[in-house]
This record gives sequence, C-alpha cells and structure tokens, in this order.
Amino acid sequence: MIAAAKTRRTFPGGVHPPGRKGPSENSAIQLVPVPKQLAILLNQHIGAVCRSLVAKKDVVKASQKIGEADAFVSAPVHSPLNGTVKEISLQPHPVLGRAMGIIIEVEADNVAAKQPVAAKFGTEFDENKFSDEQILQAVREAGIVGMGGAGFPTRVKLEPNKANPIKTIILNGCECEPFITCDYRVMLEWTEQVIAGIKLVRKVLKPERCVIGIEDNKPKAIEAMKRVVGESDGIEVVSLKTKYPQGGERQLIKSIIDRDVPTPGIPPMISVLVLNVATAAAIAEAVVFNEPLTHRVVTVTGPGVERPGNFYAPIGMAVGELIDACGGLKSDAVKVILGGPMMGISIADLSCPITKTSGAITVLNAKEIGGAKHEMRETACIRCGRCIETCPMNLNPTKIAHAVKHGLLDVAEDYHQSACIECGCCSYVCPANIELTGYIRTGKMTVARKKQDST
Amino acid sequence: MLENIRVSPAPHISHHFSTRSVMIDVIIGLIPAVAFAGFYFRYYALLLIASCVLSAVATEWICNLIRKKPNSLGDFSAVVTGLILALSLPPAIPVWAAVIGSSFSIAIGKMVFGGLGSNIFNPAMVGRTFLTACFGMLMTTWTVPANIDSRMPAISAAMPDTVTQATPLAWSKQALKTRNIEDKTKLVPASRANSLMADMFWGRVGGCLGETSAFALLIGGVYLIIRRTIQPHIPSAVLGSAFLIGTIGYFINSDAFINPLAHLMSGGMLICALFIATDPVTAPLTTKGMYIFGIGVGGITMLIRLLGEYPEGVMYAVLLMNAVTPLIDRFCKLVPAGGVPNA
Repeated sequence: MIAAAKTRRTFPGGVHPPGRKGPSENSAIQLVPVPKQLAILLNQHIGAVCRSLVAKKDVVKASQKIGEADAFVSAPVHSPLNGTVKEISLQPHPVLGRAMGIIIEVEADNVAAKQPVAAKFGTEFDENKFSDEQILQAVREAGIVGMGGAGFPTRVKLEPNKANPIKTIILNGCECEPFITCDYRVMLEWTEQVIAGIKLVRKVLKPERCVIGIEDNKPKAIEAMKRVVGESDGIEVVSLKTKYPQGGERQLIKSIIDRDVPTPGIPPMISVLVLNVATAAAIAEAVVFNEPLTHRVVTVTGPGVERPGNFYAPIGMAVGELIDACGGLKSDAVKVILGGPMMGISIADLSCPITKTSGAITVLNAKEIGGAKHEMRETACIRCGRCIETCPMNLNPTKIAHAVKHGLLDVAEDYHQSACIECGCCSYVCPANIELTGYIRTGKMTVARKKQDST
Repeated sequence: MLENIRVSPAPHISHHFSTRSVMIDVIIGLIPAVAFAGFYFRYYALLLIASCVLSAVATEWICNLIRKKPNSLGDFSAVVTGLILALSLPPAIPVWAAVIGSSFSIAIGKMVFGGLGSNIFNPAMVGRTFLTACFGMLMTTWTVPANIDSRMPAISAAMPDTVTQATPLAWSKQALKTRNIEDKTKLVPASRANSLMADMFWGRVGGCLGETSAFALLIGGVYLIIRRTIQPHIPSAVLGSAFLIGTIGYFINSDAFINPLAHLMSGGMLICALFIATDPVTAPLTTKGMYIFGIGVGGITMLIRLLGEYPEGVMYAVLLMNAVTPLIDRFCKLVPAGGVPNA
C-alpha cells in the first residue's frame, strides 16, 4: 500500500520535454496597452459559425454581443472594448487559414483596459445563490468554450444527461506543454475565482467526485488550491506526475480515475467531464458578474521574445501587438507559435488575432528547435519503435504515417489513425526526425474530407 | 526579421536523438568486445575489425554513387554492420575473405533493398552466411586466444582424432554425437564443455573474435539498455527461451546436453541477443512482436545446437526470424488505449 501511494499518478507512454517554464512563470498577470484594432473571428469554437449581428460603422460597446448562431453547438462572440465596426471581412485564422471576422476600431487613448475580476472573489462563495437555469444561460450567453485548446462550447458540456449523468468532474490544471504558464498564473492569482467556477459547474451536474489535477512541477499552484479549497467543499486536489501530455483529456482521466475513454468517444461516455482552469474562471465571471468571455490570459514566451510574461489580453488582439508588448521579436527568432511547442500552430502572419483558445504565443529560435528539426531533415525510418513506446494512445505512429505517405488511407484507418490525439510525442522522439504527427493529421484530414464529399 | 519566420507541422521541438546517436551508442556498446578481441587475439583481430569496417563504409559509399543517392555514411550504420560482422568471424580468417564478406553484407544485405531501414535481413548475418557458404573451411577454423596457447595441447591431446576445433560448442556437439558410442574411450562427456564456464565468461576459449567473452558483451548490453538504445524485450526473450530449452535438455540427459548457462555464454548467443537480434530495422515493432521474435531466435538457435548438425545456429535463427518479422508485425497489431472501435 505504501508503495502504491508513493507511485505518482500517471498514464502509460508520453515524453519528458524540458519544462522551460522559467522565463514567464514568475511574471504576474499584467494588462496590455489597449490595441487600436481588434479582429473578432466568427469561428473560434467547434460547431456552427456565428453570423454577425452588427454592420459596418456600427458603434459597439464593451461586452456587447456581436456574433451569434442559433445552433445548440455554438458560442456567441462579443466585443471586448468600446469601438466602431470598421469592416467585416476575411481575416487570418490560426487553424483555418482565412475566416470571417469583425474588425473593431478602438479609440485606444480614450478607452481604459479591462481589469480582471478575480479580486472580487472571496474564499467564501455560495453557489446556491444561482439557479441551474441561470448558470447554464450565463455560460451560453457569455460564449464560453474550452479554453485549453479544443474550443468546444462549454454550455453543451454542461447539459445534464439523465441517462448517463456525470459522476466525476476533473479540473485540468496540468499545463503539460513546455513554456506555457497562463493556467499556472490563473491558478496562483485567481484561485478563488477558479474554485467558484468549479462549484457552479458542480451545482448543475451534481457529480460524486470533483478533482483538480495539477502536475507536480507546480507545487505553488497545488498549495494555493489546497489553501482555498475548504475541508467541507469535497473538492480533491491531486498531484500528478510531470509528463507530457498529462493535460490531454484522455490521459488526465486515465491518471486520475484509471479509465480509458472509448476510442471513438468523448469523456461523458464514461461519466466524466473535464474542464480547463481558465474555463472555470470564465464560468465564474460569467455567472457572477454577467461578463462574457472577451479577455483571457495569454503567455508570451520563448527565447525569441525580449521580455516574456503573462498578459490579460482582449480576444482579437493581433499576435504581433502582443509580441510588441513584450519588447518585440529578437533577431534570431525563427518560429512564432500560437500555443506551445508540442501542439501549437506555427504562423507566418503576425496580424493573426488571438482567439478564445489561444493560451500562449511561443517564439522559438533555431537552437531551441534543434538542428535537424529546424532544417526539416528527414531520414529513413529505422523502425526503432520509440514512437510506439511513447504514444499515449498505444498506436503505431510509424505504420500510420508511412501508410498516409504512400496514400494508403485504408491501411492508416486499419491502424486506427482516427484515435490519434495529435500530441506530437512520436515526432518529438523520432531519431529519423520524421514528421509523424504531421502525416497522421494529414491522413485524418483527408479521410474527413472524403467523408464530407461523399455525403 | 519576418522573412526568417517559418511554418511547419507541430511539434516544433525535438529530442536530441538521431539515427547517428543511436548507431554511435551501439558502437560504444561494442567497444568492450572489440577490446577483449584485441586482448585475446592480438593485432590480427584489430586488423580484421578495421578491414571489415573500412570495406563496409567504402561499399556503402560506392553503392550510393551508383544509385545516385546522397551520401548516407553520416548515420554510421555501415560502421555498425562492419563491426558486428568482424566480431562474428573466426580469428584466423584471411583479410581478403573478411573484406568480401563485409562488402557483401552492405551491398546485398542492405543497399539492394534501398539502404538503411528497408533491408529485410540483418546485413551482418547475410554477410556471414555468404562467407559460410563460400568458404566453409575458413569459417570453422578456430585458433585459441594468444595468451592461453599453453593450454591448447592439453585440450587437443584429449581427443586428437576427432576434435579439430576447440570451441565450447564443438565440445558440446561432440558430447551429443558420442553419447551412444560403444567405444567408451571416445566418449566426450558434457562436463568437458561445462568445465570451461569460467573461461567462457572471461573469454579464454576458442571462438569468433567478439563472441568469446560473455563479460565484455554483457557490459556493452547493459550500457545499451541503460541508455535505452535497445529495449530489454528481445534480449530477455532470446536468452530466456534458450535457457529454458537448454534446461529441458540438461534434465533429460546431463551427460549429453551441456549446462544451459554454458549455452548462454558460448558462441554467438550473447552478441546475438544483445546486438544482432536487437537490430531495430529487422526486428518487429511492438512489444509482443519483440517477444515472439526473441523466443523464435532463442528457440531455433537451441534446436540447431541440440538437434542439428551444426554446432552453432545463431546466424540461421536470426535470418529465419528476420524473414517472418513482417508477418509478426501484422499479427501483433496494437489496440488503441480506448479499445478497438466498434469491437
């Protein structure tokens, strides 16, 4: 029993990339200079694309809803600041390339930056002041989506399911990606707000267990959470082994309740709900203060920026402006990544706006990327099996990737390419430097497109 | 500044592993065996090793020229092939034969399939089989280590008629062949091979250059496992299955079958388990497949040793299992963490 208690909770597979949290972990969340222009994308989430509720030259107020869709699986968008609609046109989108967005001109000199609401939350929080309908309505209206990266509308996840009720709520505070510290700062500085958020969710879903999972390389965050969570709250704070991708939804569930989510499935199928800490904070803000999701904490870090830090930034702000707020790019910067180095998307257009799911901007130099990776030098697979050893989903990445490379999509499907979570472990360890994750993603996208074409 | 910005699929960082670092690790793991070969068989051993390595490298370079492919010597895989082939050659083999074998290893064992990663069979074992087929006499003429020449007459005096080789496995085979002999004076008990166990551990016996010392190979193997260059599955399966079969034989008739530990330490068993069968290119990918592969290599080796005509069977065991590796991979498909969909 003692040995079992000492082994650190974790999942099979995974890798140990260097943490690199140093540059930004001790930088408190700070405000950014008010930008002159914001680009609010109408498609920041999974589900139906919003249609614009405003027209060119309309004057919009802070927190005003400017885009909405009628579908259940969707989330409205709001204007973060007072301003004027300049145009509604195609904008650079980190994932889709180009997507419709609303450009809002802000009179930067006359508009004050929005302050975080965290200070208004005390350790005593009574979630019973709010009715279930009130909470669900607020989450929907605030346009809250999963802020850890997936962007799935949170309102949909909170819909009570009588047939298969949620038994465990897991709050994801792992932040396993190297460099990123936005969730860490939220857990440290907005602790009360995060706990309030999880209490509100618990009120709606009435689960048996409520767990906060944090990697053990963030002892201060664990301590802060434990301090705020009261004895009677019934919320467990669990320390998890520091390993990538500990913060992956399926891996987190495996680590905490030792169950596997079925391959073509989602956590609610095994009665589990996973929420990111930033999402919980947004829920609390939306329910208590009726404030929509218009700002988020973004880590700007990496060896390619002058002064790394964590910023409370309006959604829609251009990546370039955020980097400028940190003193600009260094001359040796070669890659700007929206997200972390393992799963983030590298972008070439710095006018690309941040979205509800952008937790970090990581700027890397050639040294950090590593010689072969930087030069994109790929050699033959030597079948060493490291990709299989590290795959947290127990797939055969080299087999799938080579099938995709040779156009054998049926073979790739046969080896369950659709189960891939695209964590990047296989590409990270590959000694031949093959872009396994890239190939597998290509395979998945090709199959999805074919299915779309045939229907 | 922006013109330096590049885009690529995630992830954007990578581990410092490279094919070259994997191969260099294998070379480092073989250094003890090379050192012991040099110690026991003196300069001629080093000459053989050097000529094998150089001819392997030269052959790969020429093949790349012919195929109009970029130079691939930087991955050091040719060095590893040359080294392993050299260590599995008898110490008295002429240099010209070693060069032929080494060139054959690379050209026919590897490059005709398309180079590293595409070969079906272990190149070093292909070369060794070729040499055995062409120059059978040279491949079975054993000299004993230079520093124990004085012991040699004692061994050969015991059986001057029948024993021309002095390897422990030859003794083992003699014990098997003479177990039912009527003339008891010609009987070779298994205890003769068993009595050499300490010498096998340190390498003071006849045998191939790098195979005589179990100690040197174990150091190298442990290094590779600690460095995680190889996974322990294949070595444990090879040695485990060989030990099991050896034990069964030993229990049936301990006069005719030698001690299973002697089997593990003699001949090519250890270099095979740690360095040859673990060649990633020609071994299965999955853990289950690796165990099947290892059990196959260990089992076939022991069947040849115990029941076959040859005293040693490592080479054939590895090649046979290499041939079924694609099949093993096909049958040992991994089940995704969440189970097979719609199953």
